[in-house]
Amino acid sequence: MGMQGDFFQLLKAQGYQFGAAGQAGNGQEFTTATTILAFKYRDGVLVAGDRRATAGNMVMYDRTDKVLEIDRHSVMAIAGVPATAYEMVRILEHSFKYYRRTQLQELSFEGKLRAVSKLLKDNVAAALAGTGAVAPIFAGYDFEQESAKIFFYDILGAEFEGVEYAVSGSGSPTIRGILHYLNTWGDQPLHAMSEDQSTIQALRLLTSAAEFDSATGGVNREANLYPVIKLITRDGVRTLPEAQLKQSFEASVSRFV
Amino acid sequence: MYEEPYKWVEAVGNRRHYLDEQFTQGSPVVALAYDAGILMLTVSKGTPKLYEIYDRLALGGMGHPADLEKLRFSLLEMAHVEGFNRSPSDVTGSRMVKYGIAPVIKQAFEEVFKAPFIVKILLAELGQKPGKDIFLVINYDGTFEEGPHCAVLAASKSVEQDMLAYLRKSGTMQLPLDQAVGTALQAWAVGDRSQRNALAAENVEGAAAGSPPPDAAGLYAYVREAVAEKTLEGAVLDRTQPGSSKYRALTAEELGRLLPQDIKKSSL
Repeated sequence: MGMQGDFFQLLKAQGYQFGAAGQAGNGQEFTTATTILAFKYRDGVLVAGDRRATAGNMVMYDRTDKVLEIDRHSVMAIAGVPATAYEMVRILEHSFKYYRRTQLQELSFEGKLRAVSKLLKDNVAAALAGTGAVAPIFAGYDFEQESAKIFFYDILGAEFEGVEYAVSGSGSPTIRGILHYLNTWGDQPLHAMSEDQSTIQALRLLTSAAEFDSATGGVNREANLYPVIKLITRDGVRTLPEAQLKQSFEASVSRFV
Repeated sequence: MYEEPYKWVEAVGNRRHYLDEQFTQGSPVVALAYDAGILMLTVSKGTPKLYEIYDRLALGGMGHPADLEKLRFSLLEMAHVEGFNRSPSDVTGSRMVKYGIAPVIKQAFEEVFKAPFIVKILLAELGQKPGKDIFLVINYDGTFEEGPHCAVLAASKSVEQDMLAYLRKSGTMQLPLDQAVGTALQAWAVGDRSQRNALAAENVEGAAAGSPPPDAAGLYAYVREAVAEKTLEGAVLDRTQPGSSKYRALTAEELGRLLPQDIKKSSL
């Protein structure tokens, strides 16, 4: 014992290595690029992400899931090198479970944030070498403060709170301005929107990002391909089903494209 | 003093005797499959006896809390490292027991100069489909048994057999949760009662070895009395639970709702 429920420490004690710097090959292109976003709405936080993974000019995969449920009340959306990002998600998932099961209580929201920063900090060498840069958004329900929260990170592990919203990935500059505009001069601030309204906005935002960023995948109705949208409320994390996204898209997004 | 084989065998025999005595006052643990998963139930005096180990694994224990805690931690470590390095589906109860804690418990039991683990362990594994659940029981000497449908922990093998016989007779297969709670409570009462009878028979030379168990109402009356200053503890591995973790401790309020009417009438 003496581990105090720290799974990452346990892994390291078993010889596991994370975040070692690799030599970036000359001109080698890594799988990256994305648009992910999160904003607060009436009942909690909405987190959304496109589905495209690219390496340079090439589309690697068009059905990537970048919005990942870490536990019943937290979600991490990933932008950057997926190999590292997925590994981080796996470590976090096991860390939170391990903490809960050993300590017989849930890890606090602040403790979860610390765990994310710690992983990013351990990953700095790989981030700077170019082989493992990840800039995630972490969102979850904070039971101590009784509200859903959003945090975003740079590749070195600096943590910022997204009071109303947060964006990351190559397509994010496009929609950051839109979010600011909507929140300040829209009919209502983002946090007053209903679930339906926020779903529509999320779809419109990601469609806009895809319009101006070739590395962000848009909606492809023929292939029944929609972004991933998850909602975090006091009751937990919920993934919006494709049928619902399709309906919202056809009713309120496609006619504007 | 134990260098001769005969003395070693004698020492192990003494140890068995010593350990058997440690469990006579313990509270039995019942685990059985119900229509949406696995229910575990016991009555505890303060320290909890039911725990979450992994996504589909739950632990029930009898014995010394510190020993149980030690083994619980090694199970947790093993399960999480394995689940991370391989996959959650590779974390099976049978592997955790066979290659994990059973050898450790056996070794501690046979090293007669050191203290053994005063512990009996029940590991319940929720199958991917109903009917695929697995129950493992490890004794203090490291021997283990694996079976489907249900399992129990109690002071002695004969008490465990009484309880299992009672469970089988009540036809536990695929009951809804509230009925499963009733059946589990009855089985617990059967076990606790025959433990006390055995203890009394031992103390009073030549006393009768206990009467046959009473009917359900009688057993509930027994539970009512026995639980008065203790806590009813329940947990489920619920197949319908969203997400990967299927374990859920039953809250006092939830247990209150699930308890059979016969018990609620007077005690709650």
